[in-house]
Amino acid sequence: MTNDQATRATVTTPSDREIRTERVFDAPRDRVWAVWTDPELIPEWYGSRDGETVVDKMDVRVGGDWRFVMREPDGSEAAFRGTYREITAPELIEQTFEWEGMPGHVCVERTEFEAIGDRTKVTTLTLFHTTEERDGMLGSGMEVGMNETYARLDELLARR
Amino acid sequence: MVQYQEIDRTFAALGDPTRRGVLERLGRGDATITELAEPFGISLTGMKKHVRLLEEAGLVTTEKVGRARMCSAGPRRLEDVQTWTQTYRQMLEQRLDRFGELLERTKGATQ
Repeated sequence: MTNDQATRATVTTPSDREIRTERVFDAPRDRVWAVWTDPELIPEWYGSRDGETVVDKMDVRVGGDWRFVMREPDGSEAAFRGTYREITAPELIEQTFEWEGMPGHVCVERTEFEAIGDRTKVTTLTLFHTTEERDGMLGSGMEVGMNETYARLDELLARR
Repeated sequence: MVQYQEIDRTFAALGDPTRRGVLERLGRGDATITELAEPFGISLTGMKKHVRLLEEAGLVTTEKVGRARMCSAGPRRLEDVQTWTQTYRQMLEQRLDRFGELLERTKGATQ
């Protein structure tokens, strides 16, 4: 390897709930895309080195679901799942990512593939939804619900 | 690499419904191994094994109190967004490493 960039990922945290990784691979973009989106090759790279990754579902199209199960040597399992939100071959994949061990903490992974001559720069931006945010959504939803209830109660009282 | 083992330990610890149940239970208060084993209908030996895996992942701490072993929620909390983002980040780096290796390995074969 002549360029150090190709062997190391650059990781930055644009905000406390975002992780951005950037890495250059010594392969043309079409090949990187083909390997990245091939369900048969997922067990070769997606999970941990010692474990085994089983592709339960991998429907690479907008709205399609994916689910991978990782089995560790001690027999324990961890499952990950999500949905593809945006796909533009061979440039972009946006998908949700959720670990079934912690349901509700859904991340959005946006991966861009940029051709640099015969090499490819792969950038992944992951956005995490914080607990506060989720609680906030729940709070506002409840507020709307309560206001609707009060409005209906007002109507009912007015009719009597 | 040490950091990879750490992630594997976390996922392994939580990849089991009984262990997730134990964490949920300890979130409500401390309990002995016997108290933990009973509702799950498993042996003390079985529960000890589950607790040990959780302890290795830093999710549970235990302390000997008389003849019993008291278990509490550990220093690492799953709900802690930082723990999760850190674990995720390590996983992503590992994934990219292995992806690069696969490309190198299959060079020429799939061009």
